[in-house]
Amino acid sequence: MAIADVKEYTHLTEEEVEQIGRELDAIRTEIEESRGAADAAYINRLIRIQRGLAAAGRVTLAVGTQSKKTRKPAWVAGAALLGLAKILENMEIGHNVMHGQWDWMNDPEIHSSNWEWDTAQPAEQWKHSHNYVHHQFTNVLGYDNDIGYGILRMAREQKWHPANIGQPVYNAMLATLFQWGVALHDLDIERIRKREKDPKEMKRQLRQILRKGRNQILKDYVVYPALSGRNWKATITANATANLARNLWSYVIIFCGHFPDGAMHFTEEELEDETRSEWYLRQILGAANFEGGPLLHILSGNLGFQIEHHLYPDLPSNRYAEIAVKVRALCDKYDIPYTVGPLHRQYGQALRTIIKLSLPNHMTSSDDPAPPQRSDTANEPSLDRRRKSDEERPPRRVELGAWTRSAGERSHD
Amino acid sequence: MDPAPLPFGERDPDPELGVPVPFACTTSYAEAARAAPSIRQLDHRRVTQCALSRVCGVCGSPLGRPIAFVGSPAEADRNAFHFPPCHLECAQALLDAVAPVDVAVLGQPETVDAWVLTTTAAFEYVRPSLEDADRRPTFEPYEVLTSTR
Repeated sequence: MAIADVKEYTHLTEEEVEQIGRELDAIRTEIEESRGAADAAYINRLIRIQRGLAAAGRVTLAVGTQSKKTRKPAWVAGAALLGLAKILENMEIGHNVMHGQWDWMNDPEIHSSNWEWDTAQPAEQWKHSHNYVHHQFTNVLGYDNDIGYGILRMAREQKWHPANIGQPVYNAMLATLFQWGVALHDLDIERIRKREKDPKEMKRQLRQILRKGRNQILKDYVVYPALSGRNWKATITANATANLARNLWSYVIIFCGHFPDGAMHFTEEELEDETRSEWYLRQILGAANFEGGPLLHILSGNLGFQIEHHLYPDLPSNRYAEIAVKVRALCDKYDIPYTVGPLHRQYGQALRTIIKLSLPNHMTSSDDPAPPQRSDTANEPSLDRRRKSDEERPPRRVELGAWTRSAGERSHD
Repeated sequence: MDPAPLPFGERDPDPELGVPVPFACTTSYAEAARAAPSIRQLDHRRVTQCALSRVCGVCGSPLGRPIAFVGSPAEADRNAFHFPPCHLECAQALLDAVAPVDVAVLGQPETVDAWVLTTTAAFEYVRPSLEDADRRPTFEPYEVLTSTR
């Protein structure tokens, strides 16, 4: 399938695609020109709140667990406050700061170059695996390692393997240990196995991961428990619970971004000679939003506006809600699918896909929605969009990081 | 993130011009090992990688503050650079190295007589549109902090 097929799928002419690009550019310009003190106040306020929550959680655990009478409520409150602080730090602050959303403030701390977040993956590796690989190659099979994180079959185009039967179990493990799965995301384990990775770079990345992982473990499971004195066990379990809550929450939010029904997958050919407008279109078609109130959106890093985040990853996240109104109107105007639904439905669809795709295609049906119709092409023969059998499909790419290699190199895989 | 970042002075030299080849001009590790590196052209994959991963176009390690851009006077006037963002020190080292070179380098269409070094806190990565004659992405610094010609 080439990029032209995507346009056909959405029933747009080349001129319409370019016009959509111009209108999306205009939305960007409008936000850039109105970006200012109110936005800066938002992120500064949020960081203060997050640090307050973290401090309150740590103090509650250290002090509140000393008395037998307050131990249980202090444990619950401390774990909840800490979990909330970690979720805010990872989702709305760390993720968005590292996208450069706040670089325009020229703040020495709140800048994509400086921010290091409270999770096991080093910021440098996240900026590569997420900002570059995932955002540049969104939902492109064989390139975007976020499609199933290298262990789950998430698209019917991926070849089925008997090992996929265990997907529900792998999925539960990934969700539980999400920060550690993400920590290894940029390592490219398949290339390491094949001895194709630059040994210097591999050692450098491993050192980074070990250092960051060690510091995370020391912080949550040695230093803070030690500060709790004889009740160190309660602090350890509360910290582990906070980390688990953050892992499960971030996993759910991330899986709702690209795997509900309607979010499309693409192929390598669609990237060739892609214009800005086509890139915009791919972001819209490859992402999915979920609905909710302001608090839900803040706790999810405003990734409920996944479509808007993919269109404008470096615009401030607090503006996505107003951008979404305009993007949705644009999609309605041009009859472009705009995937959105309540959080429980979006995650339910992602989970159903994980379970269904643990089986071969012939044993399950597709849940992809029908493409929209355009009146002036209604009588033209439709493209062959039938699902290919496993024999007709290319073998599943299991290696990570294939995008860094040239076509010549990839042909040697 | 492949290959590992290397300081500008330690990078493989262009066999024709003798100047170290910055990260943004190299291709992937194995490919670079096969082909002679050249400072004349930019590699579009590396340029995009620098933009989104926020790594230096000269050494390949994470950017700092301020962010520096090097380019021709025309690029500075348009506020649209082709060479990706760099560390200030890396940009200065790169300009020192290419100043005496009298051929077009770093993806420039012609020889640049007087390079411009611009610093900023933020930038926008602009993908080419269908109407653009030059179908390469550009970098637009947000609020230029300094500009040295």
